[in-house]
Amino acid sequence: MDDKNFNDIDININDYDIVLKIKDENDIAVSRQMAKSFAQKNNFSLADVTKIATAVSELSRNIYRYAKEGYIYIKKKETEPDKDVSIEIIAYDRGPGIENVEQAVAGGYTTSERSLGLGLSGIRRLIDSFYIKSEVGKGTVVMAEKRRRRF
Amino acid sequence: MKDVVISRLGELVEGLAKKDEQKKAWEDFLVEFAEVCGKSDLKEKLKAPISNLLDRISEKELSDGIELLHEKLDNFPTVDVYKAIIEALGKKNDEYLVKIAELRDVLSELSTPIIHLWQDVLLAPVIGTLDSQRAQNMAEKLLENIADTRAKVVIVDVTGVSMIDTIVGEFLIEMFSAVKLLGSDVILTGIKPEIAHTLVKLGIDFNMVIIKRDLESALKYTIGKFSKGTEKKQSNTKRGDIDEN
Amino acid sequence: MKTKFTMVVPTIKLYDYLIVPIQIELDDLTIEKLQMQLLNEISEKKIRGIILDVSMVDVIDSYISFVLSETAAMAKAMGCHTVICKIQPQVALTLAQMGIKLKDVFTANSLEGAVDILNRLD
Repeated sequence: MDDKNFNDIDININDYDIVLKIKDENDIAVSRQMAKSFAQKNNFSLADVTKIATAVSELSRNIYRYAKEGYIYIKKKETEPDKDVSIEIIAYDRGPGIENVEQAVAGGYTTSERSLGLGLSGIRRLIDSFYIKSEVGKGTVVMAEKRRRRF
Repeated sequence: MKDVVISRLGELVEGLAKKDEQKKAWEDFLVEFAEVCGKSDLKEKLKAPISNLLDRISEKELSDGIELLHEKLDNFPTVDVYKAIIEALGKKNDEYLVKIAELRDVLSELSTPIIHLWQDVLLAPVIGTLDSQRAQNMAEKLLENIADTRAKVVIVDVTGVSMIDTIVGEFLIEMFSAVKLLGSDVILTGIKPEIAHTLVKLGIDFNMVIIKRDLESALKYTIGKFSKGTEKKQSNTKRGDIDEN
Repeated sequence: MKTKFTMVVPTIKLYDYLIVPIQIELDDLTIEKLQMQLLNEISEKKIRGIILDVSMVDVIDSYISFVLSETAAMAKAMGCHTVICKIQPQVALTLAQMGIKLKDVFTANSLEGAVDILNRLD
């Protein structure tokens, strides 16, 4: 896979409601606060707001810890006005990449000393659809989507 | 047009319907129709009469009737009438959708009651088919209730559940560990053979949950534990007193 | 008395228990500082039980729960038990769904419950 191929997920910054650069340890807390208020504004249930904020927190930390810097993109998706609303989160970095994606997503596996290794597997359980693409030396893209539940 | 309708009212109504009830419905409609006929913005003015007519006769009877009127009356404003019918039906459909949403809310409220059984004891009887949506709603409601009431024990009774799929099973396990994180105990009762089968296949950690055969033994256990708890509390107070001195 | 550590969170000493109401956003640096602060207080104030009140904490992710468990294990090594009380219901759901277990930590849904647990452990 070459560089160009890795970018086959087209991210048009203008489509996203929130674009955040993760560079500082402090940005992790900022990203989860922004995700939280964005989900709240879009009438997600309190539990789902917390799940979205937690997922974003995990994604930002992964960027900060492994890639040093990267981006978090968040947008609201609607199939029809007021029907089937969802929030899409993308974490993108050009860091070292993940060697064994399957193992990382399965959980209980970590390359970092101070971690439970539950980051990626946790995110996958918190949200409704999950996509990850990673290549060693190129970077990692994670796409996560959470639908708003009816009633 | 107005005069024609009024003068032929009896004849038209006879042709439109057989039963008295429907005849009356058509008669009322034709009178109202004659009133607005020929005026500007006919479609808007026809909406109310059509909607009333639809409440009293079926859609089939309506379309047959309009066809008849179209044939019998010259210059019958068929297009405007049909526009009004479509809009009236659309409005009715919207009303039904709202009603369905309301009923769904009521259903979810009714199907996941949480009962304050005793001081520090909540009962959550689960009834009917659990899907992941309902399981999540129930989990949210139950946890909020525990946080508000500071209940020490939650009895989850699944006697009314005939089947659990793996996804719902996972949600239940998550709900139980969340309850534990709040610092409360879970007692699970009323597990049917099929559910026991699913739960074991899922690899549920039975150590996390206290399982009792039925509600009766769950209650006995809870009360036993509860009174033990009070004894301990008393001894604690004594200890506290000594500390203070 | 001089304190050798920087205070991140104000704490309350009750008998030989330490009540820690966390009312700040827990970012990675803060929680690491809090860990050191608590360990220092355990040793200086001869604390036998720590009660962490997290009712104001909106998000607990895998790293924060890791540090909390780690702190509890360190406290345990110093002869001190840890109770986390008043976890928000939606935070508990999130942790449970992620499959996170708080090791070496007791949980309670009220301050009284937390004190009861510590009393029982003595």
